[in-house]
Amino acid sequence: MLELKGVTRLYGDVVALDGLDLSVPDDTYLSLLGASGSGKTTLLRLIAGFEEPDRGEVLLNGERLDGKPTHLRDIGFVFQNFALFSHLSVAENVAFGLRYREVGRLENEAAIRERTQHALQLVGLEDFGHRGVGEISGGQRQRVALARTLVTEPRIVLLDEPLGALDANLRARMCDELKSIRERLKVSFLHVTGSETEALTMGDTVAVLAEGKIAQVDDSRSLFTQPKNPASARHLNAWNLLPGVVKGGVLHASVGKLPIGEQVADNTSVQLAVRFDDIGVCAPSDVPAGHDYFEATYVTGEFNGPTALSFFRTPDGELIQVVDHLSDPRLPHLEEGKSYALFFSPDAAVLFKGAA
Amino acid sequence: MEVRLLRPVLMLYTALFLLFLYGPIIILAILSFQSQSGGPQFPIQEWSVYWYRHLLGLAETSRVSQLPVGESLVRSLVLAFMTTVVSVTLGTMSAEAFRTRFKGAGPIFYLIILGMMVPGVLVGLGVALLANFLDIGRAWWSTSFVLHVVYTFPFAFLVMLAIFNRFDRSVEEASLSLGVSPAKTFRRVTFPLIFPGVLSAMLFSFTLSYDEFSRTLFTAGADLTLPLSIYGTFSVEIYPNVFAFGVLTTLFSFTLLAIYGLLMKRFTARSKSRFAGQEET
Repeated sequence: MLELKGVTRLYGDVVALDGLDLSVPDDTYLSLLGASGSGKTTLLRLIAGFEEPDRGEVLLNGERLDGKPTHLRDIGFVFQNFALFSHLSVAENVAFGLRYREVGRLENEAAIRERTQHALQLVGLEDFGHRGVGEISGGQRQRVALARTLVTEPRIVLLDEPLGALDANLRARMCDELKSIRERLKVSFLHVTGSETEALTMGDTVAVLAEGKIAQVDDSRSLFTQPKNPASARHLNAWNLLPGVVKGGVLHASVGKLPIGEQVADNTSVQLAVRFDDIGVCAPSDVPAGHDYFEATYVTGEFNGPTALSFFRTPDGELIQVVDHLSDPRLPHLEEGKSYALFFSPDAAVLFKGAA
Repeated sequence: MEVRLLRPVLMLYTALFLLFLYGPIIILAILSFQSQSGGPQFPIQEWSVYWYRHLLGLAETSRVSQLPVGESLVRSLVLAFMTTVVSVTLGTMSAEAFRTRFKGAGPIFYLIILGMMVPGVLVGLGVALLANFLDIGRAWWSTSFVLHVVYTFPFAFLVMLAIFNRFDRSVEEASLSLGVSPAKTFRRVTFPLIFPGVLSAMLFSFTLSYDEFSRTLFTAGADLTLPLSIYGTFSVEIYPNVFAFGVLTTLFSFTLLAIYGLLMKRFTARSKSRFAGQEET
């Protein structure tokens, strides 16, 4: 198990990581979701030993990692740009660690060849060993990078936006492959990404990194349906947040008054979160019974294929998004500039206490 | 100006420019084939390779003494080689140091660059005086060698700095994360990748040291290097044997350049050719 305890990393006055705690259990696919600049790459670099934390500890199976040189940590790292050795062939790239590593080096050429071939088979590149790394496609390069890391049997594998340099089609395929490869090897993967769909697809567990701390760690479904704080909700890119203040058991939000389901003391700042796909749209006079609603003006729509995204603007300028599914449309015909009631079931709303 | 006209004008300009660059060498090459009776000027009395034979000691004795270049040539080559090895090693190491920002990086950078900025006559004279003061004998392999390194090291350093500037650090990190030690990472990853740059730095250092004059003049002591001994014969009386020698050294330089080009080509095209070869099967 990999544990980070109170890890802090400063760049001058900028706090990249702020007393971060995280543990990655054995045999897990953990994806770490964070916006760009949230320090997610820094976190991986600290674990790998390319940088050292200013405060805090990094432990692997109870043994301190921080302060130890990178090459003695036994941690795999897959780079976004793959970082292949351009002067070596595919097979030489994969064999590199086996041949030159400090601890557990293989001297026997036959054994090296066998392990290399096995690793290439694992990623489906058994016939590409002789090629130069400049002469294979992006997806194949990604696999070489993966094979090169996995062949040394690291204790944990860190992946820094490994799919970022691939096109969309390939990304979907690599997602499946990464997962199945990991399941065969039973080694933990810590996969860092800025894409919420990638994080939710890949991870057995998803951690959200915001403002230098872990905002939430949960399985994909729980995280998506029940974010525990506004930061998590924002990162999922699927929740509208309505900030306001509670007075007399009612939320006074920018969009008007909304009832809330739980007892909250007066003058508490809260945010009400409603998922994009839990909002219905109708004329202000036709709100179905048992639903809360607020009014907003339709701005524009965005067609994404299986889903369509509609944008509404509240009177004070807040942007609200509503998702509709092509096969199961819920929304009426919308006219730009016209005001509509956006309604939702009280059960669908999640209340976060604390200021926005 | 009309585009139709511009093209020939530019071509003419380029041709003239090339002539300006290579004219002296061409004249020198032509004059080197002067006959024994002819002087170091036009017209050519008769075409011959007499002065080449004279240079190599194959001609029957004449009143013109043989050019004393044999030993000085060896000295210059050895000195250039020593300088190249030391300068490129130092240049690579210091450029490597400059990859990470360290305290005092700015001043140290300019201190290194100073070696190629200060006029050679001045440092030459300075080192000569210092050697006298400290009672150290001047020689091409000691005082001159030090100055040659001071002079060529900044060039090697700048070349390597440019190479490291474009160098992707993540390949080194990849090697480290595979469990390979920093020293082995340098040997197996960094060095092969920067090798074309090292080659260029070597070419620079070698050429600069090989024909260095002003610094060597003051510091070489009794045994002369090639540029000094050529200058020595020049200042007495000129015969076409100097031209013949000039042609031979130019050919030598071209050979060096060709070797450099071949090595470079072989190195940069290696992965490509391997791939192409395999594709055919």
